[in-house]
Amino acid sequence: MSTALPPNPSPQAPPEKGTSLTADAWRRLKRNKLAVVGAGLLVAITLLCIVGPLFTGYNPEETDPKNAFLAPSDEHLFGTDSLGRDYFTRVLVGGQTSLMVGFVATLVCLIVGTLYGAVAGYYGGRVDEILMRFVDFFYGIPYMFLVILIMVKVQGDEATKASAVPVFLSLGLVQWLAMARIVRGQVLTLRDQEFVLAARLTGASDARIILRHILPNVLGIVIIYATLTVPAVILLESFLSFLGLGLELSWGVVVSEAVNVVNPVRSYWWLLLWPSVFLAATLLSLNFLGDGLRDAFDPKSRR
Amino acid sequence: MVETLVLLAFLGLIVSTLWWPRPVVRAVGAAFVGGLVFLAFRGPLGVLGAALPALGVAGLAAWGLPQRVLKRVCFMVLSLVLLVFVTTWLMYSVPGNPFASEKQANEQVRAALRAKYGVPESATEFFVLYMGRVLGEGTLGPSLKSQGRTVEELIFPAFPVSMSLGILALTIAVGLGLFLGVRAGLKPNSWSDSGSMAVAMVGISIPNFVIGALAILNFSLLLGWFPVAGWGGYQHLILPAITLALPYAAYIARLARGGTIEVMQQDFIRTARAKGLSERAVVLKHALKGAILPVVSFLGPATAGILTGSFVVETLFTIPGMGQWFVKGAINRDYSVVLGCALLYCALITMFNLLVDMAYALLDPRVREEL
Amino acid sequence: MYRTLLGIVAAFVVALLVVGLTFSSAAEAPADYTFINGTEPKSLDPALITGQPEGRIADAIFEGLTRRNTKSLRPEPGVAESWEVSTDRRTWTFHLRANAVWTDGTPVTAHDFAWSWRRMQEPELGAEYAYLLHVVKLAEAFNLYKSNVTALVGPREEEKESLAEGVAKIREGWAKAASPETPGIEAGVWQAFLARHKAQEHLKGCPDRVVDEALSRTSGSLDAAALAAFEEAVRREATRRLAVHEEAVAHFGIDRGAFAKDDRTFVVELGAPTPYFLELTCFYPSYPAPRHVVRPVDTGDILKDEVRDWFLPKKIVSNGPFRLADWRVNHRIRMVRSESYWAKERVKLGVVDALPTENVTTALNLYLTGQADWLPSNYPPDLVKDLRKRPDYYANPGTVVYFYRFNCTKKPFSDKRVRQAVCLALDRATIVEHITGKGEPVAPSMVPPGIPGYEPPSSAIRTDLERAKQLLAEAGYPAGQGFPAVSILFNTQEGHKKIAEFIADRLRRDLGIPVEAKNQEWQAYQDNVRLLKYDMARAAWIADYPDPNTFLDMWITNGGNNQTGWSHAFYDRLIQHAVDPEAFAAGEPESLVASMKEQDKARALILAVKSARDDAARVEAAGRLRMHLFREAEAILVQDEFPIMPIYFYVVSGLVRPYVKEFYRKLVLPDGSTAEDLQDLHPFHDVWIDAEAKRAERFR
Repeated sequence: MSTALPPNPSPQAPPEKGTSLTADAWRRLKRNKLAVVGAGLLVAITLLCIVGPLFTGYNPEETDPKNAFLAPSDEHLFGTDSLGRDYFTRVLVGGQTSLMVGFVATLVCLIVGTLYGAVAGYYGGRVDEILMRFVDFFYGIPYMFLVILIMVKVQGDEATKASAVPVFLSLGLVQWLAMARIVRGQVLTLRDQEFVLAARLTGASDARIILRHILPNVLGIVIIYATLTVPAVILLESFLSFLGLGLELSWGVVVSEAVNVVNPVRSYWWLLLWPSVFLAATLLSLNFLGDGLRDAFDPKSRR
Repeated sequence: MVETLVLLAFLGLIVSTLWWPRPVVRAVGAAFVGGLVFLAFRGPLGVLGAALPALGVAGLAAWGLPQRVLKRVCFMVLSLVLLVFVTTWLMYSVPGNPFASEKQANEQVRAALRAKYGVPESATEFFVLYMGRVLGEGTLGPSLKSQGRTVEELIFPAFPVSMSLGILALTIAVGLGLFLGVRAGLKPNSWSDSGSMAVAMVGISIPNFVIGALAILNFSLLLGWFPVAGWGGYQHLILPAITLALPYAAYIARLARGGTIEVMQQDFIRTARAKGLSERAVVLKHALKGAILPVVSFLGPATAGILTGSFVVETLFTIPGMGQWFVKGAINRDYSVVLGCALLYCALITMFNLLVDMAYALLDPRVREEL
Repeated sequence: MYRTLLGIVAAFVVALLVVGLTFSSAAEAPADYTFINGTEPKSLDPALITGQPEGRIADAIFEGLTRRNTKSLRPEPGVAESWEVSTDRRTWTFHLRANAVWTDGTPVTAHDFAWSWRRMQEPELGAEYAYLLHVVKLAEAFNLYKSNVTALVGPREEEKESLAEGVAKIREGWAKAASPETPGIEAGVWQAFLARHKAQEHLKGCPDRVVDEALSRTSGSLDAAALAAFEEAVRREATRRLAVHEEAVAHFGIDRGAFAKDDRTFVVELGAPTPYFLELTCFYPSYPAPRHVVRPVDTGDILKDEVRDWFLPKKIVSNGPFRLADWRVNHRIRMVRSESYWAKERVKLGVVDALPTENVTTALNLYLTGQADWLPSNYPPDLVKDLRKRPDYYANPGTVVYFYRFNCTKKPFSDKRVRQAVCLALDRATIVEHITGKGEPVAPSMVPPGIPGYEPPSSAIRTDLERAKQLLAEAGYPAGQGFPAVSILFNTQEGHKKIAEFIADRLRRDLGIPVEAKNQEWQAYQDNVRLLKYDMARAAWIADYPDPNTFLDMWITNGGNNQTGWSHAFYDRLIQHAVDPEAFAAGEPESLVASMKEQDKARALILAVKSARDDAARVEAAGRLRMHLFREAEAILVQDEFPIMPIYFYVVSGLVRPYVKEFYRKLVLPDGSTAEDLQDLHPFHDVWIDAEAKRAERFR
């Protein structure tokens, strides 16, 4: 939800290939308790969200207003919401969307940002300067406008069908800038390495060099930053839900609905507790895992 | 169609700054610097009063500023104009308009309102009109939703509010973030590392509106320590500032941890320890320094973000700050407020990045030499 | 060195904090009475505002000819100390009190009212509520006829063509094509053409039969001769309107319509007897604006002459019980007792604050902790079941209907059997009982109960799932088979969302049709509804004045607020004749009566109008005939056509502290009986705070 902009990464040596190094990294990662716990938790939550709704025996959209706001019980593990829908199922299905938004939007940002950054870094010079100036330019636009306006635009154009595509697009498109900067920094240091020169001598085209030789080498760092982008995107989606601009059902949606019914007048605390626990656990896991990966695979760029 | 052409022309112009010959950059850059000064001072000093310092500053700039800075100014000013254009275009292309209301007013009413507020039906026309207003009259124009007020009158009174909230939030964020980050970085992979980072990450793992709501529930409604909402005194400041600070504290802790780990592996730490410096002194003198450097470069964007991106906190605590305008402007399609906010944000980002560069130079001798 | 640096930074931080706080807050005493106003008013110019948050402030700082009685909300003497009305109920004469003054000491005169009413109708002002005063003679002509004429015969700006030019172009096209048989334009295409030119809007109230018939043509086709006659009629109408407009410019607000006879006598001439006219004189569009502040010089160019920010605290001059002391956007509006108000000794509150809190939880928290004394409706809707049990909760039915629009131009809802099926399948009782939960009555019709003199027709809308399934099968979708995927469009708000999700779920399960709820932010939602880019869309309609017309005239063909694409010629004619029932009775009513549902009743009413002995009796009979025309029109909506699905009528509720005195939760009429407060208005001019009770109150 913040405008956290990672500063320009310092150029650094590429991670060299070699089983020993990777094994080394794995060992470092495994020593990082938080990262290990995070990875486990993440897998568990993802599985639960995907498989769980099949076994709860409820449809997340089946309403029963007579049984609204039931407290957690054997029948309804997490109770029911304001329309009497089974909250456990809703939280799990909401998790599916939230996770999907996080991963798909990150994928969008990853593809756009990586290609952009790779091109800028590979060609360098004027091309680099021009491309990076546009990144600077986009940094100058308040991202809030971009998200809201893109969202409204795409959503408004297809008035008769609910869809998650605008959310993916708008969230992905505000996150790619950081990715582009990081990749560019990496590629800048890679492009003069022997293996690239060798590829160039064999007459490989620029596109081939970028795709086949350079990108595989930055993939590690890209994945690390992607791991940190996913929670940021999920959090941003929850903010959009708070504004009422988000999806039909996601963690952001259920949480922002629940915030209004925890009050001294009447506290339906379970409505806020459960999705918050899931959301927080997922985001914490992703953040820890991302930090752990970075520590392990990229020991010099602990920023 | 016209919009696309104009957009391409703009992009071309901005890109072309890279090839501009030195004298052109000097002249145009200096003119831009003078123009900015003129716009800033024409409000309080009038046209003539502003022209004098503007000319002076332009002359000084042409004479004294390094080529790199002038080039940067050229780019910045041109991209501000592009920013206005792109934002206008985007606003016009989304559904809705500033004068929509639930009950459809007749055609005549809509036309009268458009005429009154100077909002033509086409984006390009509006852009021309807007730029004319900003450059010609030196005003950001009337708000379309808060009638009778200009955008300045809406945003400027909100500035001190956002400033007091932001400065406190930033202090908390830096303090908390540094503390947790350094603590974590001193003993990587230990329990104190895990614990500190787990605490630090709360800010970016729970949505702000949940943290804020829970804070109000516990500390205001149940314990009664703070007012539930409002603005006016120091007591109104505490909860919102903490809520606002937490996400930033998380990022700062992450940066500080990395910086600390790196600096603690350096040789001079071993030297310092060998010299018999106490662990406390080592941490305070060296580790902290290592932690601060990466944090400082984050402070520029963080400050701009904290000043303008506090919509949630302002809504929950009904605080009359600037953050609301960034969201409300877009939601209400208040075109002039949106453009005013975009310009302000751009200016803030630029300004704080400059400040950060200066602070960096002060802290790190290597960078000082580079500058 | 670091220590110094740290010191500098710390000092800097503290300094900025202090400076920021000092500049942003003036420590002020708390108000006597604070309420949550829901949102920031857009303006406080009585001629230009439309919403409730604006209205609450305007009612406190301005005063019209009459003001609302705190107990009954009935008009009582305001700036006017007395008034009389002519026997034909078309001329009202108001006598202004001598001690009514603006806050700057200038007396409030009849000229102020005449000027303000004229200003409101000035086309260039763009007042949305101008139409409310169109009941005054020449007002509509002054306000709209000029733009009508431009739209009808030109010249128009840019590439737009006028209606007459458009018609001529069609005919010319035929002439060029030189086909042997007389070409014609098919009714559907014709209606689309009319809609594009907003013909219904610009020809509204045109007495010409040729126009009437051409506009209401929804079947068959129009040939060249019909078009020529129509064009001729349009030009005739334009000429007539131009003449009337010029007359209005010369006389309206000066010596005709609404004008000052002398400084203290204000005369209003109405086009037709209007039962609710006096209500309008205590509604903010009719409030006076201080001419000497709003338009100190008058060169005839509104855009230049008007002081844009005259209603902001620095400049405002007003005439109500309070004056505007401070207005900090997103923070607070502060009003203090006006020392120049004619009844200032009866105003007990010294300082009143309005908070623009939009977040419902924050609003409730402010109320719970005693930082606000009155919270009108802005609490989290899900808490209503618990709030209802509190003694400080109050609720009143409102003249607001909550309904869904069907897009009648697109499959499947172009088929009225499908529309009826959905109407019949809906379980309204569950919605009001378990979802909205304030005790809302379910809505079988469009017009809410409580409008004086109007009884809604019987309705075919009820819950009957068997019949619904049968209708769906008749329409070709047995058990929902083959039904295209449709969505319910609603604008972002929790209450709308719950209802839409419930209805979608039940339609899926009960009728087997694929429906999903689709959320859109306000602006996009509005655009899509207007452009008919939806299947079903949530809507609500608030009465502007207590009369069925406000709920029914929107459904005429191509009406600006119709937005369903529904068109019904007979309906249009009923609504049009309701404007002037006396003329309808005197003309040839039988052509219409023959298609009515309750013909005997209609004939009896027409006879009563014709045979009335005096003015008063005729006015009264015409009023009843008018209500009958509305009843027939509404019957078409809810018995035959179902372009809309009424769901429930609003209940407006709120929380108010018991120590707030002279705040009426229910109306107390002059005869001592109680009544519902349909408008949810709670004037401040008599309110006082029982300080002892307030001290005894335990918050939280």
